[in-house]
Amino acid sequence: MFNQEEMSMMMSGSETTVAGTVRRRIPVRLPSQKLPRRSHNLHRLTPASAAAPDLTEVIERLKSGDQGALETIFNLYSVKLYNIALRILGEPADTEEIIQDVFWTVYRKAKSFQGNSQFATWLYRLTVNAALGKIRRRKNNKEVEYEEYLPKFQTDGHHSVRPVVDWSDNLDEQYSKHELQEVLGKALNELKTLDKSVVVLSDLEGLSDKEIAVSLGLSVSAVKTRLHRARLFLRGKLAVHLGYSPA
Amino acid sequence: MLKRKTARGKKVADPTCKQISVLVVDYVSNRLHRRAKREFEEHLSICPDCVSFLKTYKKTIVATGSIRVPTLPVKLRKNVLAFLRKKMRQIAVFLLVFADQTWR
Repeated sequence: MFNQEEMSMMMSGSETTVAGTVRRRIPVRLPSQKLPRRSHNLHRLTPASAAAPDLTEVIERLKSGDQGALETIFNLYSVKLYNIALRILGEPADTEEIIQDVFWTVYRKAKSFQGNSQFATWLYRLTVNAALGKIRRRKNNKEVEYEEYLPKFQTDGHHSVRPVVDWSDNLDEQYSKHELQEVLGKALNELKTLDKSVVVLSDLEGLSDKEIAVSLGLSVSAVKTRLHRARLFLRGKLAVHLGYSPA
Repeated sequence: MLKRKTARGKKVADPTCKQISVLVVDYVSNRLHRRAKREFEEHLSICPDCVSFLKTYKKTIVATGSIRVPTLPVKLRKNVLAFLRKKMRQIAVFLLVFADQTWR
């Protein structure tokens, strides 16, 4: 009926520590509140909700085993976690199992949440890890080489293919939104799994580099490097699709 | 690599297109230091190739951000909630039985 870990939790009520949490106290932010403003305005903000419950109080209730608190957490975060899981997996299969496991883990391990890291970041971490675990277990997990799609430079540092074509306006003219999403979705699925997770959390879900670093257990500079290379790959893919050089 | 003189007469190298392509990740999130940002923008003012590169880089971010996924399916939501309620009920029953046995 229960696994060993569940039994142990019920018997002793012992607390475990969440690996990788940061020591600095970060104020808990509701998903309905605005994310830190990014100057390039490329992230999307979650609309504010007037009836957002007090998250600190909900977490305290959850720690004491309140079932209603888990349902409140589910109502607050299930859509976002579903989006993250689906985007990383690339297909709906397995998402139900992931969402189920994440929320059950949240209920079982709520006591171990110290509040040192944002609650949302903890949830993202659980979801991303579960999705990455699923991908690793898939046998047909093929990754492409980026090199072909990255910009190339001469020894003096100039672009090797000149002039570099500005196709930014052509994209919307030549392709419908649906076609564009299909091309990008396919390119996104060719990224290395961790790079894909970084792009999903950054450019699709609007998390800051620091939040992504905590969620994925990476350094901020590693997040930036992976994000940059993945964006260059996607850019190269779009350029090739439009008939231009990725360089 | 071009060299130019600063206001104090010191010779400094302008960033190359290759260096610009590395700095772009911080430039689009406005995290370049003031001096690096000025050099970045000075390079853009003389290099149409890097202007095109920057525009297509930004367009890629915007296009990626517009990828939509279907909303949380009602069936999935129902199934997960049913699973969680069942598991929580099992825990409650277990604790009651355990408390009862301990009391006896």
